Amino acid sequence: MTAVETSEPVTEIAETYEHYAAEVPADRVKLHVRDLDFYYGKHKALHGVTLPVVDRGVTALIGPSGCGKSTLLRAMNRIYGLYPEQRAEGEIMLDGEDILERRVDVATLRSRVGMVFQKPTPFPMSIYDNVAFGVRLYEGLSRPDMDARVEEALRKAALWDEVKDKLRQSGLGLSGGQQQRLCVARGIAVRPEILLLDEPASALDPLSTRKLEETIVELKRDYTIVIVTHNLQQATRVSDNTAFMYLGRLIEFAPTSELFSAPKTKRTADYIGGRFG
Amino acid sequence: MGSLRRFRRSAVDAAFMGFCWLVTAVALIALGFILWSLATQGIGALDLKAFTLPTAPSGSPGGLLNAIVGSVITCAIAMMIAAIVGVLAGTWLAEYGGDTLYAKLIRFLNDILLSAPSVLVGLFVYNILVAHVIGRFSAIAGSVALALIAVPIITRTTEDVLKLQPTSLRESGVALGAPHWTTIRKILWRSAGSGILTGGLLAFARISGETAPLLFTALGNQYFSVGLHQPYFFGLGQPIAALPLVIFQYAMSPYDDWQHLAWAGALIIAIAVLGTNVLARIVTRERRPS
Repeated sequence: MTAVETSEPVTEIAETYEHYAAEVPADRVKLHVRDLDFYYGKHKALHGVTLPVVDRGVTALIGPSGCGKSTLLRAMNRIYGLYPEQRAEGEIMLDGEDILERRVDVATLRSRVGMVFQKPTPFPMSIYDNVAFGVRLYEGLSRPDMDARVEEALRKAALWDEVKDKLRQSGLGLSGGQQQRLCVARGIAVRPEILLLDEPASALDPLSTRKLEETIVELKRDYTIVIVTHNLQQATRVSDNTAFMYLGRLIEFAPTSELFSAPKTKRTADYIGGRFG
Repeated sequence: MGSLRRFRRSAVDAAFMGFCWLVTAVALIALGFILWSLATQGIGALDLKAFTLPTAPSGSPGGLLNAIVGSVITCAIAMMIAAIVGVLAGTWLAEYGGDTLYAKLIRFLNDILLSAPSVLVGLFVYNILVAHVIGRFSAIAGSVALALIAVPIITRTTEDVLKLQPTSLRESGVALGAPHWTTIRKILWRSAGSGILTGGLLAFARISGETAPLLFTALGNQYFSVGLHQPYFFGLGQPIAALPLVIFQYAMSPYDDWQHLAWAGALIIAIAVLGTNVLARIVTRERRPS
């Protein structure tokens, strides 16, 4: 039941490879991945990945299918823990605490690090209950407080105006783009610190994609966002920093404008120039 | 491609299609005959008395009321037991068991139980409950026997429909910080609800016509055996009447009036089973259009 990309035939690349990582001041780092190895059973999918995620900014993860970008994202909230054969080694520091440590309470971690998936996954319940679902797990809010929280989340996800008159209707009745923004609202209703987006626009039409991107740009004022995307233009439109990954390794990490205008490594230049991937 | 080869292909295709039609027709004709004789013989015997009077000796006015009530009670208790055990077992197999050796063993045994002869289930319950634990033929023993037949059906359907739920739905719940168990209860069960309900209805349809497991457990009773004033836990601890048992007994009897009632009983069960199956279809069709 693994739901992660393993489509590309993975060939090894040399132990020493050309890579580059821009410096980020330590006080601006919200989440720091250090020397992360990741395994699907015996298969090693990530090799010593180190990546700083900047506070209140958007970090994009790009790279060809099977490069490990989704795997890296799925390590950041330990969602891989659902599958006993998957494990991570190394460090992921969130505000100075290693979230990979066994004693970390994963439910609390996931309330701090929210996630939105590739395909919209509304729960089989009303729009209101979809948004309130996560909040009810942690907080016993009074009715008016919950109403306010639901409205706040839906407004931030730019969905409020479209659904305010039908909050009691099923979330399954919304369009694909609305469903995805509902999932964003559901994720931010619990007031996480970080939001992980796993190719959130890949199942959406261009118009819905644009709306979602505007939402992402809005959200980075309050949240730290990591987005996996196949779409390079999308990365340039929404992100502040970009990490290029290839065959389970981080090849280049830099401010988005620099990475796309003046890549420091040949592999990055080839990839963004459309020569492979 | 040669024309001969093309001719051969279409001939084989036509022959196979014809054979399929023939076999389907044979099955449907047989079913049609059964339903026809059931309807013609049963409707004549089906009158108000069948629903208002309890069973009586041949020659005196009697109906099927106590058997109908008995069947409803035993099936209801059986479904309560089977729904709890079956849904939990199916959930465990789909969500926690995975491909471990233990889960594979449970799945294998469940499949065996699914096709076990129901008379064996009856004997098994007789040996444990009737002969030892309770010490009497009883409604409870009958219900347990029926539950044992329903459990593997519900377990299997629950596991199957839960596995059909998208992985991302499961992960979305967990990603919000909900424990796996909460995600199962509040999201997956709801999402798989109509499928699980269908499994339950099919299991109910199956056990409502079962006779063999009741022979050595519920035994049958020509009187009303349940009520507030009845001994042994409102009568549930003593033998109880059930429609299949009455049909079995009456159909084999030499009396005309009993045989008529047997037909009426058979028609009642057939209608109930048909109704349940139709209901199951409707429930499945009303799944969300997504």
